[in-house]
Amino acid sequence: MRILVCVKRVPAPGARINVTADGQAVDAAHLGFTTSPHEECALEEAVQITERLGGEVTVMTLGPAAAEEQLRYAASVGAHRFVLVPITEVDWDPQRTAAALADAIGDLEAADGPFDLVLFGNESADAGGFQVGVRVAHALGRPIVNGIKGIDVGGDPEAQSSETGDVPEGQVAARREIDGGFEVYRVPMPAVLGVKEGINLPRYPTMKGRLASKKAEVAVDERTAEAGGQGRVRLHRPEEQVSETVILGTGPEAAPAVVDLLEELGVFQ
Amino acid sequence: MTAVTNRNAYASDELQAIYDQTVDFVAHEVVPHGDLWEVEGRVPRDVLKRMGDLGMFSLRVPVEHGGLGLGMLASATFAEALGTSTFGGFEATVLVHTDMALPHLLNSGTPEQLGRWLPSILAGDTVLSIGVTEPDAGSDVAGLRTRAVRDGDGWRIDGRKTFITNAVYGDLVILAARTDPDDRYGISMFLIPTDTEGFSVASKLDKHGWRCSDTAELALDDVWLPDDALLGTVHRGFHETMRNFQNERMVLIGMGVGASQVALDLTTAYCADRKAFGGRLADLGAIRQRLAMRQAEVDAVRASMYHAAWLGDQGLDNVREMSGVKALGAEVVNRVMYDCLQFHGGMGYMRESTIERMHRDARILPIGGGATEVMLEEVAKRSF
Ligand SMILES: Cc1cc2nc3c(=O)[nH]c(=O)nc-3n(C[C@H](O)[C@H](O)[C@H](O)COP(=O)(O)OP(=O)(O)OC[C@H]3O[C@@H](n4cnc5c(N)ncnc54)[C@H](O)[C@@H]3O)c2cc1C
Repeated sequence: MRILVCVKRVPAPGARINVTADGQAVDAAHLGFTTSPHEECALEEAVQITERLGGEVTVMTLGPAAAEEQLRYAASVGAHRFVLVPITEVDWDPQRTAAALADAIGDLEAADGPFDLVLFGNESADAGGFQVGVRVAHALGRPIVNGIKGIDVGGDPEAQSSETGDVPEGQVAARREIDGGFEVYRVPMPAVLGVKEGINLPRYPTMKGRLASKKAEVAVDERTAEAGGQGRVRLHRPEEQVSETVILGTGPEAAPAVVDLLEELGVFQ
Repeated sequence: MTAVTNRNAYASDELQAIYDQTVDFVAHEVVPHGDLWEVEGRVPRDVLKRMGDLGMFSLRVPVEHGGLGLGMLASATFAEALGTSTFGGFEATVLVHTDMALPHLLNSGTPEQLGRWLPSILAGDTVLSIGVTEPDAGSDVAGLRTRAVRDGDGWRIDGRKTFITNAVYGDLVILAARTDPDDRYGISMFLIPTDTEGFSVASKLDKHGWRCSDTAELALDDVWLPDDALLGTVHRGFHETMRNFQNERMVLIGMGVGASQVALDLTTAYCADRKAFGGRLADLGAIRQRLAMRQAEVDAVRASMYHAAWLGDQGLDNVREMSGVKALGAEVVNRVMYDCLQFHGGMGYMRESTIERMHRDARILPIGGGATEVMLEEVAKRSF
């Protein structure tokens, strides 16, 4: 199996996000960065599949030079090859990003053969455009299924689930969660999948993995692409929600107030 | 440019990887749960098991035994990174296992002993403690009274140990006992599984800080051990124990440096936010200057600790440097915690505040692993 995972460097979730004075970007001065959580799961899935079936996981990111950190993290959890498509702007719009990635993937495939699977996160944790994976799949002329929480590759004995049944060689079954059940899609490989957090529990790197990741070779692949039609007007940070604590009373005297509150909330019906 | 607070002159990519890995682990697996562990008085075994599975106990273990074969700089880095957890008790639990007890086995163990114990120690299935201190012998290690006498093809041990970290819930104690009654230094080390007959936990001790670390008073009544429980050379245990003292001192300061940096970061953030006298606490000269001095002191301790570690890794004598940094560092950490609590005001005195716990956790550092006065004697002996 040859699997490519595209990941994005994003501000660590839970961080306090500040917007630059011109309203055009997130102020990165005091932020920690990480791999988008959906993509961390996509990477884990790819590593697990190649651990079972053999093969190689390549990880690609389009981002600032510092995104090398996310590639090294991928190395520490078991990915094999790493490509950085460097940009100097803060972010590229989805059309431009997808065009550059599709070009870079095309060249990798021309050299080493097609990737059986190209995995994206369902959407990036920062911009959340839901576009890049679909656009890349389109450019490559491959099927794509988004919102995926289960991947069963044909010929993988461990991955045959009751939901997907026997998946023939050369195909992949992708499960999407819907209200109260699953939708299962079967697509021929090579295929593109948009993976959602929750498909697995990404592993921590081992100490050995971390040490080795520092020596991993990162290929830098400079690309240019036309800007797409999408422009940012401005970023806005909503006012912080202030939560309030009301002390209803202490000791037994508090009981009537608690009962009143529970009644108000409709707990007793 | 973002500040990299933990940088030091010796931080290679490899050491940085150890730091990052440990800080990540601690942020996800320790910080969210530590409060509960403090109440329960123990670190859950599955956490130690997970650390074992990730190879976090193997830094100092030679490559041929499945480890990473690294030196003191790696231990210092690991300790500093653990220190960011803010739970000193957790850090002590880990560092006693990896850096205070395990080195004795690595230094003196026979191939059979290593083969028998190392795999489960590295996996986190066997948790180690080091049993030296006794009710009547603390700083004066050579004054210990626990006796081991020859009995058939083994040893019979009687005595008491106290303040032994990890021994309430742990599995294997590396224990010092007197084997030569006529020689003050006639001490030997033994490997004692905690389920050995005659070995018991006399009490689980209740402490000022490090509350999620378990600390035991141990009773050894007529404990019989086979010959292969003797670790290292008979009667040479005192000298063999001393070999690891620099490492032990270092990791205690390492965790203190990591904790101090978090405390300073928490406090500067708090003071930058807290409004008073028409401005912020951070605008008050007395506060900014004091925190700045504490930061400078922490930076100095960090730098000298890594330097002393580097000396050790070069095979050079570092007793003066490491004892000095243990003495200075432990005092600095306590000054940091005192001031950080002070500038949190009443909030800092509340049990719910992180700084309150860190202040308590820090207090052991000038006592354990060589009291400040004892450390300064080590420096003085090499000065006069
Ligand atoms: C939480 C905790 C965990 C511990 N974990 C372990 C463990 O895992 N294994 C283990 O073996 N031990 C452990 N110890 C014991 C620890 O190492 C000793 O407490 C320490 O060595 C000091 O010994 P002591 O308490 O007997 O104090 P003493 O030796 O009685 O000294 C009391 C004080 O006198 C002063 N003093 C002592 N000697 C001198 C001197 N020569 N010159 C000037 N002043 C001096 C110092 O201020 C010292 O603090 C632990 C202790 C604590 C509190």
